[in-house]
Amino acid sequence: MSTDTAVPARKVPVRPAGYGVVRIGARARFLLHRRSALVSLGLAALLAALCVAYLCVGESFVAPTEVVKVVLGQPSPDELVVGTLRLPRMVVGLLVGLAFGVAGALIQTVARNPLASPDIIGVSQGAGALTVGAMTFGVTSYTVLPYLSVLGGILAAVLVYVFAWRGGLHATRFVLIGIGFAVALRSVTTLFLTKGDYLVAQQAQIWMTGSLNGRGWNEAAPIGWTLLVLLPAVLWAARAQRTVSMDDDTATALGVRLGRVRLGLVALGVVLASVATGTAGPVDFVALLAPQIARRMTRTAQIPLLSSALLGAVVVVLGDLLARRLFSPTELPVGVLTAAVGAPYLIWLIIRGHGGRSGGNA
Amino acid sequence: MKTTGPGTATDTVTSRLTARGLTLAYEDRTVVHELDLAVPDGRVTVIVGPNACGKSTTLRALGRLLKPAGGAVLLDGTELSRIPTRKIAQAVGLLPQTPVAPEAITVSDLVARGRQPHQHWWQQWSDADERAVTEAMERTDVTALAERSVDELSGGQRQRVWIAMALAQDTDLLLLDEPTTYLDIAHQVEVLDLVRKLAAPAADGTRGRTVVTVLHDLNQAARYADHLVAMKAGRIVAEGRPEDVVTAGLVREVFGLEAVIVPDPVTGSPLVVPGAPWKPSAPSPRKAS
Repeated sequence: MSTDTAVPARKVPVRPAGYGVVRIGARARFLLHRRSALVSLGLAALLAALCVAYLCVGESFVAPTEVVKVVLGQPSPDELVVGTLRLPRMVVGLLVGLAFGVAGALIQTVARNPLASPDIIGVSQGAGALTVGAMTFGVTSYTVLPYLSVLGGILAAVLVYVFAWRGGLHATRFVLIGIGFAVALRSVTTLFLTKGDYLVAQQAQIWMTGSLNGRGWNEAAPIGWTLLVLLPAVLWAARAQRTVSMDDDTATALGVRLGRVRLGLVALGVVLASVATGTAGPVDFVALLAPQIARRMTRTAQIPLLSSALLGAVVVVLGDLLARRLFSPTELPVGVLTAAVGAPYLIWLIIRGHGGRSGGNA
Repeated sequence: MKTTGPGTATDTVTSRLTARGLTLAYEDRTVVHELDLAVPDGRVTVIVGPNACGKSTTLRALGRLLKPAGGAVLLDGTELSRIPTRKIAQAVGLLPQTPVAPEAITVSDLVARGRQPHQHWWQQWSDADERAVTEAMERTDVTALAERSVDELSGGQRQRVWIAMALAQDTDLLLLDEPTTYLDIAHQVEVLDLVRKLAAPAADGTRGRTVVTVLHDLNQAARYADHLVAMKAGRIVAEGRPEDVVTAGLVREVFGLEAVIVPDPVTGSPLVVPGAPWKPSAPSPRKAS
């Protein structure tokens, strides 16, 4: 223990390790985690490269220079292939990936559990149950179904939240009840599938694996607007994460209205996940994988939102690129690929015994 | 530890934090019954009592972690429930019994989070933040650990880091829930010495911090407290200066233990020595190794 008579001259100011202070104007100051910033830049560059590759590769190869021309709106002979067929589908994949990445990060933060993600705790299953249910009852319009799946996802999340609430939100109970609901809703979906018409079942099956096939500007617009409108909320969430990642008592002692902040974070995550599911179906494991990989890259104490979002987009765009080309001319749904990578990862997470931090002095 | 600093006549002591008719319950089990307490400003108040007497529960209520079932906790005369939680956080710091740090967080990052109640989203790191964090880490002697991960620290170091975080919050009042649990005796003394230093008046005569802490060890409580509160079964049995409160009668009443009270050979504070010597109940057939 240092005595108070220590030499006062050599006072080195302490800043949070790894952070830089960014000054904007006279008063505004932001803490910037240097490594996270670098990781985000790297991921953005990787994503840009993947996007160009995505637009180049296909039935016919298009030169990158032509691709850039089309994206910039200049006349090009490849206008149809790139601008009409590949670009809209890629944009949908990009937005879906961003949304899943952020959604997973937020829900994992609140649950303090890497297993918690919208496709594990029932959001995707809720969306699936309602969508497939509607299909069996004859709703086939692709302008209605996405909204139904958003509704289904949110309803499932509300149910899980209500059942997990007992004078407060207990993280482990939230995850377990979510898993329970996920199983129950999956069996409801199966019930609809067996009751329904054969053709409907086939259509539903494709939707349920998560596919970008046939998605275009009509699907890109709603999710794009949703992301834009929710951007301020996401910025708020990034700041709120700092205290929510502590234990309840400490966070409350620091003046955080924990109940409201958590509800806000979960609600934001659920809306994003539901909209993404409504757009492309449940692209499994993206929301689970992206935040965990991003965190290992940035080595931050909380899950980095921007890096998670970018990584989500990288996974979906790369996944769909491979899904299109791997067994060409047969196209796989992108969800098959993400599941092929994600499922072993999930098993590894469980084997490592990383099912959440329950203890204090671990 | 008889601190008789400038102007500490016991009858003029003020109290920012008080409890009035405080009743606390978990579900329908009442743990604390109509408790009245005035926490003396600028002093170290220690709450002691047997297990499950409601001492930690009382501390949690003083720090608004537990809503009263009856009565109220008042800060500067206003009920805590009427003050925005962020405002409370600017006046009252609290360290729970087993705080949990986010995984892989660095020491300086954790301590910096103590500044939360003073920050805004557009002002995440002011000069005041930097000063408070630097000073808190110096006082707790964790500056050298700034870049280390909290996960890899020893128990004693970790506890000092948590105290640093609470100090960085820069509050007048500091509530510590059993800060010596899980620490060996040397680290216990280290933490308690630090607590005393926090409450000591500054060189320019300004009042030190007000500390309320729950301790398990009656002797440590008697040694470090200015104001000792003894609780039993959810009620205060006695309170006052340790030398007035800690008597053989009180120890018997509160802990049900026959004890002899002698002056602590180092500080002169009351020292509790269990009165009945241990006797082998029957001659053991086994030989001692």
